[in-house]
Amino acid sequence: MPKTSSRWLGLLFQVGAVLLALLFTSIILLLVGAKPFQAYERIIYGAFSDMGHISDVLVVWVPLVLVSAGLLITYSTGLWNIGIEGQIALGAIFTVWAMRLLQDSSIPPVLIILVGFLAGMLGGALWAALAGALRVFGGVNEIFGGLGLNFVSTALTIWLIFGPWKRPGVGSMSGTVPFDTSLWLPMVGGSRLSLWSLGLGILGIVVVYFILQGTYFGLRLKAVGKNPRAAFLMGIPTSSYMMLAFILCGVFAGLAGAVQVTGVYHRLIPSISSGYGFLGMLVAMLVNYQAIGAPFVAFLFAALNIGSIQLPIDLKLDSTLSGVLQGALVLFVLLMDGVRRRVLHKK
Amino acid sequence: MQKRLWLIVSLLVIATMALTACTTPATPTATEAPVDETLTFGMLLVGPYNDHGYSEAHFVGGQYVEANVPNTKMVYVDKVNSADRPGTTPAQLAEELVAKGATVVIFNSDDMKDSAHEFAKAHPDIITIHASGDGAWKDGKDYQNIPNLSNVMGRMEYGKMMAGCAAALTTKTGQIGYLGPLINDETRRLASSAYLGAKYCWAKAGNDPAALKFKVTWIGFWFNIPGVTSDPTQVADDFYNSGFDVVISGIDTTEGLIEAGKMKAAGKEVWAIPYDYEKACQEGADVCLGVPYFNWGPAYAKYIKAIQAGTFTTGWEWLGPDWTNINNPDTSMVGFDKGAALSADASTALDSFIAELAGGLNLWTGPINLQDGTPLLADGVVASDLEVWYLPQLLEGMEGQSVSQ
Amino acid sequence: MKVELQQIDKHFGSVHANDHITMTIPAGTIQGILGENGAGKSTLMKILSGFIQADSGVIKLDGKKVVIHTPDQAIHHGIGMLHQDPLDFPPMRVVDNLVVGSPGGLVPNKKEAIAALKKLQERFGFQIDPDAYVETLTVGERQQLEILRLLWLGARVLILDEPTTGISASQRLKLFDTLRKLAADGMTVIFVSHKLEEVEVLCHRIAVFQRGRMVGEAKPPYVTTKLVEMMFGKAITLDERAPCATCDPVLKVEHLEVEDTRLHICDINLEVCRGEVIGLAGMEGSGQRMFLRTLAGLTRPVGGKVIVHDKTLTGKTYASFRKAGVTYVPASRLEEGLISGLSLTEHFILAREQKGFIINRDAAVKETEENIDQFFIRGKPETHVEALSGGNQQRALLALQRQDVDVLLIEHPTRGLDIESSIWIWSKLKARCQLGATIVFISSDLEELLHYSDRILVFFGGKVSEPLDAGTTTVDQLGQLIGGLGMKS
Ligand SMILES: Nc1ncnc2c1ncn2[C@@H]1O[C@H](COP(=O)(O)OP(=O)(O)OP(=O)(O)O)[C@@H](O)[C@H]1O
Ligand SMILES: [Mg+2]
Repeated sequence: MPKTSSRWLGLLFQVGAVLLALLFTSIILLLVGAKPFQAYERIIYGAFSDMGHISDVLVVWVPLVLVSAGLLITYSTGLWNIGIEGQIALGAIFTVWAMRLLQDSSIPPVLIILVGFLAGMLGGALWAALAGALRVFGGVNEIFGGLGLNFVSTALTIWLIFGPWKRPGVGSMSGTVPFDTSLWLPMVGGSRLSLWSLGLGILGIVVVYFILQGTYFGLRLKAVGKNPRAAFLMGIPTSSYMMLAFILCGVFAGLAGAVQVTGVYHRLIPSISSGYGFLGMLVAMLVNYQAIGAPFVAFLFAALNIGSIQLPIDLKLDSTLSGVLQGALVLFVLLMDGVRRRVLHKK
Repeated sequence: MQKRLWLIVSLLVIATMALTACTTPATPTATEAPVDETLTFGMLLVGPYNDHGYSEAHFVGGQYVEANVPNTKMVYVDKVNSADRPGTTPAQLAEELVAKGATVVIFNSDDMKDSAHEFAKAHPDIITIHASGDGAWKDGKDYQNIPNLSNVMGRMEYGKMMAGCAAALTTKTGQIGYLGPLINDETRRLASSAYLGAKYCWAKAGNDPAALKFKVTWIGFWFNIPGVTSDPTQVADDFYNSGFDVVISGIDTTEGLIEAGKMKAAGKEVWAIPYDYEKACQEGADVCLGVPYFNWGPAYAKYIKAIQAGTFTTGWEWLGPDWTNINNPDTSMVGFDKGAALSADASTALDSFIAELAGGLNLWTGPINLQDGTPLLADGVVASDLEVWYLPQLLEGMEGQSVSQ
Repeated sequence: MKVELQQIDKHFGSVHANDHITMTIPAGTIQGILGENGAGKSTLMKILSGFIQADSGVIKLDGKKVVIHTPDQAIHHGIGMLHQDPLDFPPMRVVDNLVVGSPGGLVPNKKEAIAALKKLQERFGFQIDPDAYVETLTVGERQQLEILRLLWLGARVLILDEPTTGISASQRLKLFDTLRKLAADGMTVIFVSHKLEEVEVLCHRIAVFQRGRMVGEAKPPYVTTKLVEMMFGKAITLDERAPCATCDPVLKVEHLEVEDTRLHICDINLEVCRGEVIGLAGMEGSGQRMFLRTLAGLTRPVGGKVIVHDKTLTGKTYASFRKAGVTYVPASRLEEGLISGLSLTEHFILAREQKGFIINRDAAVKETEENIDQFFIRGKPETHVEALSGGNQQRALLALQRQDVDVLLIEHPTRGLDIESSIWIWSKLKARCQLGATIVFISSDLEELLHYSDRILVFFGGKVSEPLDAGTTTVDQLGQLIGGLGMKS
């Protein structure tokens, strides 16, 4: 009996957390003189009113869920892969690089896209391996290493766009020359959504769920994450596993970058990661590092991102409101989790 | 644990649904269908609508249309760039405006070129106006042949010539700095026009043309992005500290003016000329020689009226000032608003320069050589629009990079 | 301070860890608490010191009812606790460690802290350098530091949960002296231990726990057999020792030279036979742990050779040592041995050989259940290890060791185990020896060393004794060697 009651209590706390997050955001809205319910209504409208919007939500969902999937791996290993933004960017850069090299050849477009994806995975993995090596062999905390590498990746992107890969005669913030439409991922009629990338997103999260839940590899990663010293004594080569976790996460980040290039922007743009790296970290935190929840929370976040576009158009509100709501959700869920634990403890 | 997640998710869904339920009655008013005759036009602004620069000039233009053309309504999104609205594309945002009833969409920046073309192709029924682009210019290098695509741009070259002239009439050291954004066709021709204006007025005032120093420093973008561009504040300071006493700004923000104000307060004799926005001088009236600005309202009003009347034809337009009064808000595409720091003498000289321009003076007349000495125009030859629009280098006599590396 | 506990009750899910416990401890008393592993001793202590909350029950101090929800509140009321498993020590200096927890203003007064520390140290004869880093202290010194810290914070009730498991004999004597002094000053001391002889010499009274209940109390003079019967419901006797016959060398150490920042030991030579048990004795920090870790491949020797099964493994990685059949069981269970947050089943999956890529959960649960039965672990396959009682964690740790290893290197194999479990664990270990395994272990318990080892190495002051025959050595002789008397130079 106490079990079910504590479950209900847990439920109550979750509801509480969501309500608090909404309340918090509402207060902010009121402070800037807006009507909260109107804002929420617009967000929901902007995300779900028709197939077009829903497909746009899915366009955001795919890279976000891929990134979250990758981060679940590093989180499980006790690593804060904050360099994820850079890894997405490098994935995108490698994809663009490969496709630029091949675009004028006679190789069939499908193959070029495929090579682009592989290159993206490689790029993300290499950049992640760098962060990993700094951490594992150089003793540089992955947060600082990752931040540094993010910075470098931004500089590299900008340099490529305004330098070697600039448009003929012109450097433009709008990025490199777009690829020919034959090199775009095919989109579902009239929308911006590609079923291929959607499939990839689903596959990605399923694979990670499976790795973490059902394999020796995943369990060892968790062991390293929870207690590296004990894991080492148990015979797990902790350094290699940490590196593997970084690299695997980088592969997923690189995939997200490749999706951004082949499915969304069709070129390299300055902020190609679209901030999905940091958003993915929020997703991973909110699901408490459990893969099963990631696709849903990622969907919610994607919906907030897309829905909030309505805010500046209809209400002249800044769309960063969605970011406030996302942050507030994470904060309050973590907070309420702490409170819940205390209360259950006392009982 | 897993149970807990399901709970979170289902709760969020429930909360979402509850919210929708609560607010459903409000929906009809919010997405009010446009009244039959009302023409809704959409505008995508690259920067904030109140940036005191390029985007605000557009926004004000849109408001002008609403005020002066009956039965029109503007919907807009600002900050349309991948840094401010990550994960979106301009085409996607344009579609949102269409969903709000827009039948005309204006893309205001060169950076939105790809998206504007993509959008126009995907929406043949929507008139797409890309300001500053050349995709609809039959003779242009980038002609796209999209029937519903139109381009419009102001001949800011004239504004820049006036800026250059005002600078040359004012400088005591004979050194003029030009704070450039990134290097492309447009920015090259604008910097060069400023130089042409400066050289003309400098010589006219009886100075040795060879003694005029005109230097361009590119910061890398339209505004400061810490860590990515050079810091315009720093660049302006460098200019003022190395003998340049007038800085003409080619960027969207007002660092040049602000720094001049500080220098002046510290006792230095320096001046600045901002860009884009009619009221830009306000941020440093005592050092401001004036500002060349865009006035988009009349052009857009003309288009929208034609669209309402069904007489609109797409194409490429490069509109100059109204020479009868370059500052006429209802007719002139490009203007120059003189600043308080411009001396009375210089003001008179500038007026006569403007009168000369109005009278047909064309500074883009040969002999003009490119920066590396290759002739651009032979003696007496007048440059075509193509030659000016796609200027490949800065001009001979100017210092600074011609091509980005 | 007089401590009264009334009707304290605590459930962990289906486990009834404390079943309406009532006891009164007058001021100035050293109260002993005995009980088998998992009897609920630590639980009660944690409730008193605010680390967990009771489901119901009342705590009174000097007759006044108090509510204690956090360790902070506990120390505010004058209750301080030394934990069974020393909590993680952050890498900071001794003074900072003192100052950090103090309530004072924003800017802590270090000078005052150092002065107070000095005064307290003088009183109890401790010698801890205020500027040393906490991590460089031995377990015993950390414990002294912790006592000083609690006293400095104003503790008037001191709870010690198995305080003597990691410290040397002399440190233990010093600790007992300290506790007696404190009690004489009117402090209340609660002392939880499995070591009957300690409880008997130290405590003014003893309470015995069994399965969450308090089943009896005793006052001096104590009768050991009575206490044992109260704890287990039956009498317990030690097994007879059964030495192995012939020597078939499995592990050889030649001219081994090891060193760390404090210690340098030269020329250790040893040949360990198949089936033999070697005990390593010495005061905490005399080099025995370094030696054991060198045998495991965790520390690199400065010189000499380590040979396992005729293979020279010197300088090889820990992984190659493991491959050669060596396993290492660390002393700090939750820091190095087990992984908090993972279940018993998950531990067994990790510890056993990988079969394929995908885990067969059902099989793993079954194996875990077998081990739980076999090792009498009080827990379920899905129990997280941190929820096991200290003794049960130790059983789990031993159960996890692979069956196919033939060199077992163990730090403190019975730390925290009750007598019955100790005997039983050793019977398991000895059974392994019968099957050909070799054991090298560290212990601070002289009886254990003498009883279970075949030979003993004594570490003192950077030197190692010749192997002693455990059968012909007495407790006194061993104690003297550990203290440095009679060590050949
Ligand atoms: N956090 C917890 N969650 C679930 N069960 C727990 C928890 N802590 C203790 N228990 C259970 O409560 C019982 C009593 O544990 P406790 O730690 O009090 O025993 P103990 O008498 O200190 O034993 P030992 O001598 O082995 O340290 C055990 O069965 C243990 O598994
Ligand atoms: Mg205990």
